[in-house]
Amino acid sequence: MEKQDSNRSLSFIDTPTAANAGFLERGRRIKMAAEMGLVESSRGRHWSRALRSRLLRRKGNGACGCKEEGLAPCKVAEDLVGEDGDDEVIEIERRVRALQKLVPGGEDLAMDQLFEETADYIEALQGQVNVMRALAGLLDGLEKEKRLMGG
Amino acid sequence: MEPTRSSGAGSGNSGTYTPEIEESLRFEEEIQSLMRDNTMHPSLEPPPASGGGGGSSSFTALLGLPANQAVELLHQPDSDDSPAVAAAATSGRELWRFRLRDPKALTLPSGFSPTFPSNAALVERAARLSVFAAEDSPEAASVPSHSGDRFPKPKAEPADSDSQPICPIPGERPQRPAKRKEAEKGNKVKGAAKKTKSAEEGSAKGAEENTAGEKLPYVHVRARRGQATDSHSLAERARREKISARMKLLQELVPGCSKISGTALVLDEIINHVQSLQRQVELLSMRLAAVHPRIDFSGLDSFLSAECGRVSVGNGRGGGGMEQSAWTEATDESRRQPQQQIWHVDLVHPHQTPSVWERVDSPHLFVHPGTSLFGYDPANSVVSLHSNQLKTEL
Repeated sequence: MEKQDSNRSLSFIDTPTAANAGFLERGRRIKMAAEMGLVESSRGRHWSRALRSRLLRRKGNGACGCKEEGLAPCKVAEDLVGEDGDDEVIEIERRVRALQKLVPGGEDLAMDQLFEETADYIEALQGQVNVMRALAGLLDGLEKEKRLMGG
Repeated sequence: MEPTRSSGAGSGNSGTYTPEIEESLRFEEEIQSLMRDNTMHPSLEPPPASGGGGGSSSFTALLGLPANQAVELLHQPDSDDSPAVAAAATSGRELWRFRLRDPKALTLPSGFSPTFPSNAALVERAARLSVFAAEDSPEAASVPSHSGDRFPKPKAEPADSDSQPICPIPGERPQRPAKRKEAEKGNKVKGAAKKTKSAEEGSAKGAEENTAGEKLPYVHVRARRGQATDSHSLAERARREKISARMKLLQELVPGCSKISGTALVLDEIINHVQSLQRQVELLSMRLAAVHPRIDFSGLDSFLSAECGRVSVGNGRGGGGMEQSAWTEATDESRRQPQQQIWHVDLVHPHQTPSVWERVDSPHLFVHPGTSLFGYDPANSVVSLHSNQLKTEL
């Protein structure tokens, strides 16, 4: 895998060649690990459980066998019916559905719980981004130092 | 008096009141039939009797009373709020029985709403928690401002424009309820922060409707009916309140969202923020993969399926400190893979992490083979070059 990486070019994002495949695979693994870190940081949350089962499913884990998904999709409309004019409701519903797709496990949630989960998810994401950025910065610094020292 | 009430209800109102009017008309018949059955029992006693339990301070019960009786009840020692609120629900049921027993109570003293007594604690609580307490607790504020003439004034809250419609001016009957209806609707959308108890809302709504009610006798009936039907709308309102509270919380989380008004736009911002955060995670993970080729999570299978689910990176950790079986699993798996040593973070042993971070200052330690931290790579120069390019790119 390492030998392949030495042929990297900057267009690795666009063309998944054999040279990039290893890198892309590693990137995906790192992303999966990052998402696992998200899960672990907020264990009790609905979105955390949903994200965890999604990760396990992607790994081809057959032992999970959970049927949590698709239980009660689209629980949005109940809270909005009859509140505002129809146009507003439609607009809001559309956005709420989009949010449901973004937040893991959002499809099962009604509006109030969805917003709560979203808030927690945003906080966890921000924390995860900060950690990864700090890690990347640290590693970059280390590499630079190593290069200076060893080079 | 009942027939005149219903006819007055039918003729004296604009279209905004039609649904309520229908309800109340239906309810009129119920009441009349009940009156004929004469199944009413004196319900004046229970609230005062349960004054220790707080029933006396439920002002919905007092709504049906003539002013002096209400004052009497009020001056009884207040009990806790919550039993009062809870009793308000029960007394709301008894409210209409007041009505039927004492039709004279319908004709309140002119220019006053004495049936909306200012129970200080209760009003305070209603002001704090009520759905009508959006922004400045308008309806609840109107209570003290109006009953202050008769009853000891509670802590003065700023009277709102909403207090205008509640002010009972005879002859403005049709407009007042309409205005109040709109104010209600506006409050529903803007929503107060806290969730309210449905009983309290019921009493607040019933009381509020009742303030303008001296010319609208059916309002009293609706107040009672409000207990049953309004429980649906009350639950709805409570739910909407919860939703708007959560939305406010989200607005605070998302930067730049507090200035935006309008649910759809706020939701747009929230969605954008979540998407951008997810994209950042993805970009950072690709960056970590690209810049540091030695970083990998090789034990993913094991640690994802493991019950403890701890993050385990890479190989070469050796057997050192592997107390948990999941860790040994990861190590074994990674040993099978031909890899050079890669940098890994050991989260199981957090005491080591400070030392890792300390080593930023002494990078030469990283080439130590024993710790199997930063491995040495002949392709290092390529990596560094690439990392510089990537840094400028990202």
